[in-house]
Amino acid sequence: MSRASGPAFPFVLLRFWLLRILPAWLGIALVVFLMQIAVSAIVHDNANVRTFLAFLNMLPSIIKTALGGEMLQSGNTPALLTIGYQHPFVMFLYMLFAVGVPTGLLTGEVQRGTMELILSRPVTKTQVYICAAALTLAGMFALVMVMFLGTVVAVHLYDFGQPVPLDRFLRLAVNGGLLASTFGAFALLCAASFGRLYSAVGVSVAFLTLNYFIAIVAAWWPRIYFLRRATLFYLIYYSDIWQSWPLRNMGILAAILLLLAVAGGIIWQRRDLPL
Amino acid sequence: MAAVEIRLLTKWYGSARGIEDVTFAIARGEIFGYLGPNGSGKTTTIRCMMGLLRPNSGEVRILGQRVAPGRATQHAQMGYLPGEFRIWGRVKARRSLRILAALGGDPAETRRRELAERLDLDLNRPVGDLSKGNRQKVALLYAFQHQPEVLVLDEPTAGLDPLMRQVVLDLIREAAEAGAAVLLSSHDLSEVSAICGRAGILREGCLVEVAPIAQIVQQGERRLKVWFVDGASVSDLLADRPPGVRVVERHPGMIHIAYQGSSDAVLKWIARLPVDRIATPETSLEEAFIQYYRQPHAAGKADGGNAPKGVRS
Repeated sequence: MSRASGPAFPFVLLRFWLLRILPAWLGIALVVFLMQIAVSAIVHDNANVRTFLAFLNMLPSIIKTALGGEMLQSGNTPALLTIGYQHPFVMFLYMLFAVGVPTGLLTGEVQRGTMELILSRPVTKTQVYICAAALTLAGMFALVMVMFLGTVVAVHLYDFGQPVPLDRFLRLAVNGGLLASTFGAFALLCAASFGRLYSAVGVSVAFLTLNYFIAIVAAWWPRIYFLRRATLFYLIYYSDIWQSWPLRNMGILAAILLLLAVAGGIIWQRRDLPL
Repeated sequence: MAAVEIRLLTKWYGSARGIEDVTFAIARGEIFGYLGPNGSGKTTTIRCMMGLLRPNSGEVRILGQRVAPGRATQHAQMGYLPGEFRIWGRVKARRSLRILAALGGDPAETRRRELAERLDLDLNRPVGDLSKGNRQKVALLYAFQHQPEVLVLDEPTAGLDPLMRQVVLDLIREAAEAGAAVLLSSHDLSEVSAICGRAGILREGCLVEVAPIAQIVQQGERRLKVWFVDGASVSDLLADRPPGVRVVERHPGMIHIAYQGSSDAVLKWIARLPVDRIATPETSLEEAFIQYYRQPHAAGKADGGNAPKGVRS
């Protein structure tokens, strides 16, 4: 008998999963959007900003670094607006999505027992993985674009007394999206590799937290400054992005993203799922 | 050509044996019973058939096509009912089933509606709110709704009441009459003997028998109930019984024995006392099945060991 062609792409599964993650995505997107409006509103209110920056100056430099470091200069409005892009709360929301979506879709369905039903229909394991990967990576990137949209709206809402270069914010958002998607790809790899939800979530969170921790501490502590290179955050260098498109770093990030996503796909396809 | 062909299928979980050298085939229109105690390898075989597990060696062919793990080989033509059916609890049964059916390109609305009516199932409730029996009905709809050519059913009547069991057995028979090949894994041996033409018996991962049900039953213990004329000393007779004879029940003047092998020696032994009457209770598949597990460990496999002889497939 001649070999039949493979099953058609499971758009039904893609749609079903999209509807499942949509409430979480909308919630995070709304908060991220409002965060940009709020930061813009605060920056717009100069008197309060000065008070805020004076307060920040009293804090240990590790906290200042986490909140934006050298960019927290009074009068540098565009730089102050980026606080909304790197605020720990925003980072936490991204982490929630990056880790929650792939682990929830892949490991979650395996642990729930529903993956056995999905894979018993004309759907290949690779197609299932592609659905999870597409939703994770596209979802992460879309969240960052919502963040940029927040800045665009804020710029039209408030007069900052000086021009706000939106092209720089777009570069920042695209690079941020790439970084966020790379973390999403790592979580995807974990979801494809571990049978238990807590293992996949645990390793993903540990990787993300460690990266963030090293990036902040290394920036603050000269003796371990070299460790910054060991983190993915090193590939997002604000002053570079501020000047032009950092194509080399973007290429490296894209390559890492691709490598992680493909590795996850191979592991997912080859291993026996703990059904 | 058989609809399902399994050849020398072996699956190890690390150092633990799942199944070893399992070989059998199922023809179109045949209902094949797949028997074995818990942990004997039934689910492992089934998951290898579905391409959910990657076997160490051997092959499975479904409708002539070799099953490649994870590649959904012939899944559009297969209906699968897992032993433990778990589905999205908060989603309504109708929507869950529609999504799963649509993954094969066919929403199967009409057939699903017919089956739901026949099984008396309300599809408008979230699966998590359904009783165990009703969840099993959802599982049956999942397996049958797209009218598959190959049905792989793991305990299809678990949790159902006797009336519903009959409906399910009818569904299986109808599918087979329409030409589907059915693999029925079940612990309910009366159910297997009622609808299966042949059965395979697994022990510790090895297939120790593949034969028609009637033949398997005959290979079990034979039963004999003997009533002696008044005054006969049954105790003396039993004290001198031939090897292989087991006493199932005894009363003054009556013995119920089970034995294997030749009836000649047993009848000659009984005839030492004056016999009033004899009855031969039918051996059930269950008794035959238990016999396979009384065999010594080295009884071997269906492909050439010392297991009870039967038709190889």
